[in-house]
Amino acid sequence: MLRAGVDIGGTFTDLCVADGDATVGVGKTLTTPRDPSEAVETVLVETLGRIGAGLSDLELVVHGTTLVTNAIIERRGAQTALLTTQGFRDSIEIGREKRYELYDTLVELPRPLVPRHLRFDVPERTLADGSVAVALDEPYVERLATELAESGVEAVGISFLHSFTNPAHEERAREAVLRAAPELRVSLSSEVVPELREYERTSTTVANVYVQALVDRYLSDLSARLARRGFAGRLYVMLSSGGIATVETARRFPIRLLESGPAAGALAAAAFGRASGQADLLSFDMGGTTAKLCVVGDGAPLVAADFEVDRVYRLKRGSGLPVKLPVVDMIEIGVGGGSLAGVDALGLLKVGPRSAGAEPGPVCYARGGVQPTVTDADLVLGYLDPDFFLGGQMALDVEVARSAIERDVARLLGLSVEEAAWGIHTIVNENMANAARVHAVERGKDPAGLPVFAFGGAGPVHATGVARALGAAAVVAPRGAGVMSAFGFLTAPLSFDFVRSWRCELERADLDEVDRFLAQMEEEGVALLGEAGLGPEELTHDRFADIRYVGQGHEVRVPLPPGELRDVGELVERFEREYDRLYGRRGPRVPVEAITWRVVSSGPRPQLQSANGGAPAGSAPLRGTRRAWFPALGGYVETPVYDRYALEPGFRFEGPAVVEERESTLVVGPGDEASVLDDLSVRVEIGR
Amino acid sequence: MDPILVEVLSNRLVSIVNEQQAALVRTAFSTVVRESEDLACGVFDARGRMVAQSLTGTPGHINAMATGVRHFLAAYPPETLRPGDVLLTNDPWQTSGQINDITVVTPVFAYGRVVAFFANTCHTADIGGRILSAESSEVFEEGLRLPIMKLFSGGEPNRDLLAIVRANVRTPDETVGDLYAQSACNDVGARSLVKLLDEFGLESIESLSDEIVSRSEQAMRAAIAELPDGTYTHESWSDGFDEPIRLAVAVTVAGDELTVDFAGSSPQSRYGINLVLNYTHAYASFATKAALAPDVPHNEGSFRPVRVTAPPGSILNCLEPAPVGTRHLIGHLLPGVIFQALAPVLPERLIVTGADATWLTIWRGAEEDGRPFSLTIFQSGGTGARATKDGLAATGFPSGVAGVPAEVIETLTPLVQHRRELRVDSGGTGRFRGGLGQVTEMACRSGLSWSVSTLIDRTRVAAGGFGGGGPGALGELSLSTGEPAQPKSVLRVAPDARVVLAPPGGGGYGSPRERDPEAVVADVVDGYISLDSARRDYGVAIEYVGAPDRIVRTPDLFQVDEDETRRLRAGAAGLLPTTAASVPQSSP
Repeated sequence: MLRAGVDIGGTFTDLCVADGDATVGVGKTLTTPRDPSEAVETVLVETLGRIGAGLSDLELVVHGTTLVTNAIIERRGAQTALLTTQGFRDSIEIGREKRYELYDTLVELPRPLVPRHLRFDVPERTLADGSVAVALDEPYVERLATELAESGVEAVGISFLHSFTNPAHEERAREAVLRAAPELRVSLSSEVVPELREYERTSTTVANVYVQALVDRYLSDLSARLARRGFAGRLYVMLSSGGIATVETARRFPIRLLESGPAAGALAAAAFGRASGQADLLSFDMGGTTAKLCVVGDGAPLVAADFEVDRVYRLKRGSGLPVKLPVVDMIEIGVGGGSLAGVDALGLLKVGPRSAGAEPGPVCYARGGVQPTVTDADLVLGYLDPDFFLGGQMALDVEVARSAIERDVARLLGLSVEEAAWGIHTIVNENMANAARVHAVERGKDPAGLPVFAFGGAGPVHATGVARALGAAAVVAPRGAGVMSAFGFLTAPLSFDFVRSWRCELERADLDEVDRFLAQMEEEGVALLGEAGLGPEELTHDRFADIRYVGQGHEVRVPLPPGELRDVGELVERFEREYDRLYGRRGPRVPVEAITWRVVSSGPRPQLQSANGGAPAGSAPLRGTRRAWFPALGGYVETPVYDRYALEPGFRFEGPAVVEERESTLVVGPGDEASVLDDLSVRVEIGR
Repeated sequence: MDPILVEVLSNRLVSIVNEQQAALVRTAFSTVVRESEDLACGVFDARGRMVAQSLTGTPGHINAMATGVRHFLAAYPPETLRPGDVLLTNDPWQTSGQINDITVVTPVFAYGRVVAFFANTCHTADIGGRILSAESSEVFEEGLRLPIMKLFSGGEPNRDLLAIVRANVRTPDETVGDLYAQSACNDVGARSLVKLLDEFGLESIESLSDEIVSRSEQAMRAAIAELPDGTYTHESWSDGFDEPIRLAVAVTVAGDELTVDFAGSSPQSRYGINLVLNYTHAYASFATKAALAPDVPHNEGSFRPVRVTAPPGSILNCLEPAPVGTRHLIGHLLPGVIFQALAPVLPERLIVTGADATWLTIWRGAEEDGRPFSLTIFQSGGTGARATKDGLAATGFPSGVAGVPAEVIETLTPLVQHRRELRVDSGGTGRFRGGLGQVTEMACRSGLSWSVSTLIDRTRVAAGGFGGGGPGALGELSLSTGEPAQPKSVLRVAPDARVVLAPPGGGGYGSPRERDPEAVVADVVDGYISLDSARRDYGVAIEYVGAPDRIVRTPDLFQVDEDETRRLRAGAAGLLPTTAASVPQSSP
């Protein structure tokens, strides 16, 4: 039986098919935005047909989509209302009361998903200790729900203060809403994200219910369409955390589908790393408009507890809607092949964050682009082949790229065209390395120790440069760089994350109570994953506590030892060790408290070999040479060009060199040494 | 130096300073630092010149730190320092003008000598003395003053100093915990800077800082040179403590240099609302950069072409031992005064006067079991409208500090916040509307008496509009018991009383009669403005046609009377609301 991973991206829908632990087919087709399930059907039928199979041969389809992200960015979700504690209907608009950019007087704040006229105060109040100060006015909620339904509202988020401590009012408000208007969809903040801080919790709850109908409809369409083609296996959905879940779970918590495609790229990196004995690495995905970097530790991507969607200002932190959910911890920066280069008021070269996008695209596409881009620089430097871009589907015009760089950069800086192009290439690499460095350091990792795992159309072109800037020792470039997310889906275990806020000073904690609810959370995991056919013996439960010194506002995530918690001293020691690693010193002598407790329940992790898409072609690996610019060698040098599809395991070569495949080109710098691994990825040792 | 290398290295420095700030926020103890981010981080070269600053934070701290580090170098020349040393001070005249702001400076060592300094300034939760308010009459009452001295010496904490601090403050764990966080984050920055030197084979950052500083200076000069030469003046008023305070500015552009002179402003006050020149300079240079060159990096170079002066002994250049505790209330108004002065030559980046001063309140009392609590909260009113768009509701400007979530307030203390919502009609009317203020209401559930110190402004002098725009609503402070409440003082509150704080709205831009009627309708539907204001101020006649007892009032239930609107807008030209002349109202 076969398994398929399908990633619906903004432009392409990618497919990866596996049989046992081997990849047997990959495919790509244009995304069909009006009904995305159409492209899924197309790519499945075509690709399976090529290997003489059909949808009835699939036992499993794992699927990820940008549907949720796009629905929020384009404001295409349901007509949504919000019910809050009396006096707090503006908390999603007031936010944190601060600007994310100090000097720009023209900044805008993220626009809430629910406009003010659909946000309602409800008479009720729960206090911080969970006690009720004002009873919930249920008749009022019923009246409100009736009017909402009449007014065309389809979805209702309910977020009351302190509901993570006592969810009773939210639950009763939901009952009241459904009594009056059973057709409304309702999300409770105490179920979506039971954590402290009302702005972030409310924003997440609203986003969840805002996209729920859309996701529901989409998943129904997809199931029906696959069934018509004879698919009788299980359909799973990729989550932002890097786990997968059943369709039923996805319907309840659709916000957890956010950013699932990019998350899977990082999973693929982790899977390659595990297969080649590299448990720690830096996943580096660079496309046309953005680059995404993620630290993989101990064979799995790091997971963060929050995220921002729809950043309105240069992808800057604080300019998006906050969403609290477990999400593969990536940093996304506005740098890609289409990023525009120019000279700023200081007379310094700047690249990005503005991008030429796909239209008009880089100057060398000759589709009307005027200002030079990163791709133009890469072309002038000889890293890209003007006649073999996208496997030769598109010819690039070197001369117009040169004259744009000459006009907009070289002349203003007094450099040659090649020096200017090299500057653009280098600054982009540096900017990505800087972002990666801050990201890694904030997580207590030293980026210099991590090999760079490169994919995406522009990733391999820049990977050795980024590795140099980071001081990393090696780059790994897999084959099939264009379908990494689809591949990643097939390496993800079934899993789900559970969170409980329970604040206690460790020295005085009631550990029996903690054990009791941790066990209860594990049982929830058993039940939820049981729906997917997994037995309790197949599951693992990883447990964590978010701990801090009493008085701090941010926690450090500490893994808990297995079994019942008995030794407070050990917990404190685990925390302080982690704290010291992150910040270089332990804190002052004050008590330590835990705030949030987490359980990640997971099924077994599937084994899978690379997404290589076929054996080496058997032809000569060296395709020829072309001039490429390497300052370390004094400028242009005749550089060997290798055919990616002809490289056999064990083949070795030295830089400078370029390796061409359909979706991308790997640049190997002077002094670097490359070798082809058993899974056909190329590993480059960076020369110093 | 190769311009591409300069760009690479300067980006690297900014990213290192951001690492420093992230570590500070994550390790801090007080809500002031960890929730509100009342802080600044920066890196300085071996000569003490600021080369890069973190991307967010508080302008007053950033710029005052930039000038303050020189005093550290004077007190402890680099050759007297050794690895593991960490210095601090909170001297108002040397750093950011308030005894509650502690600046921590750490030298970075490489090749056996000092190659740079990392510094940060944070508002500490408590530093002893009176509870922070404007009521002191000398700086000595405002807390424990720490001259420049060592916090750590060769890696060992200065135990005598910490013991003195602990013995003098109400929140020893927070105050000392934050000092540890301030030291740890400088270490994080230093660690990365040393790596950078190593990677690029640099022995110092001096030639890099020369490049960054001189290029920034040139860019700032070029931006100034674009303005027509001349002197631009404006005068505005702060509530003051007992009487209004005049803020007069003359901005003179001469070629590529700019002078900001505050001559004509009120003399220094006997209350704690005075600014040291360092702090005046900080907000004046913030304003000139935001107005002229927001994208130029902020460092020593961008300060150079801007000169800031104020007469000694005036409210903006006070002399020792003047009390300075609530200097931010006037400092935050300075950018608005400068923007208004430059308005005739700043069409696009103009921001109209807004709430400006961050509302800072310190809440004290006891838990039911008698344990004391103390909590500092920041709140923001609305910003002024911009020349092309509305102002921002309940958002700080010029300050970059954040609010504190109700759930955090209530988890840390027995305080209960009963309301935190936008204030209808509080934004100044205009073609572009001023940002709305907010209204909050606080109670305490321990059943014991409690107090709040309210450091607030614009309860008497509103934020004026511009070009026919209306003023923002005044801020309000009241007690549910109806007792009088004097801003900038400590208020004792009865156990069951509530404190209502309503930060002001921002001023509007252009005549409200020119506002797009559809935008007026949308504002009415969302309750940002009332039906009355739509008619009276904007000249748009809107009727609500739904049932009177309906809760859900969707856009289709509001109808515009087109004829009446045309009549109102045509006939009312002479009845335009006047721009709030910034004239002080009578003193209380």
